[in-house]
Amino acid sequence: MDDYLTEDKTVFVVEEVNKIIKCAVETVIGENSYKHSRVNQWTTSVVEQCLIQLSKLGKPFKYIANCIIMQKNGAGLQTASTCFWDNTTDESCTVRWENKSMYVIVSIFGLAI
Amino acid sequence: MRFKPAIIKEYIHEIVREHLSGVQYDPESVPELTRSLAECIKDKVKDEGFDRYKLIVQVLIGEQRGQGVKMSSRCLWDADTDNYAEDVFMNDSLFCVVTVFGSYYY
Repeated sequence: MDDYLTEDKTVFVVEEVNKIIKCAVETVIGENSYKHSRVNQWTTSVVEQCLIQLSKLGKPFKYIANCIIMQKNGAGLQTASTCFWDNTTDESCTVRWENKSMYVIVSIFGLAI
Repeated sequence: MRFKPAIIKEYIHEIVREHLSGVQYDPESVPELTRSLAECIKDKVKDEGFDRYKLIVQVLIGEQRGQGVKMSSRCLWDADTDNYAEDVFMNDSLFCVVTVFGSYYY
């Protein structure tokens, strides 16, 4: 039990990052309807908010944050990612979120330094 | 060997064109297609000698139905050594966005 706790300072904790993403999306987008003129600002705000919160964690990681917003109109969307990294230290976290008018997919990749 | 976005973009462009020209969006086969495209691109970049780089390859394939889509990325990394490359492919039935992020490991 003790070992697990002391590791927290240098380990990518998926639960934690999950919370950060959900918070960022809910704050930036919330119940807003898809508006073409605002999508640019939403995607950039979501990733920037995520990065700000992640850097506050103070962990020795490089982060890559990615956000996709798609209007709901019945079309299909598929995303896949493959990584070449250190399996013991690097991790990723993807959150799928939606409201009445759009789908949002946010991925965060953490690479240990 | 420096991560040169222009070269990587060429690789992406070639591979995507090869795999997706004339292909229709089919919900059954798309999951496998995105995965194999990502693997293919990752292997190509590795083979070309970028072995000091940790790579993240992301592939997005969507159906063309007139909907709006936007994708943004931000990175917290070392701007001197790390970089990314991206390419977009479209045909009548689908669109495909590929991004490759390269992060140097010291």
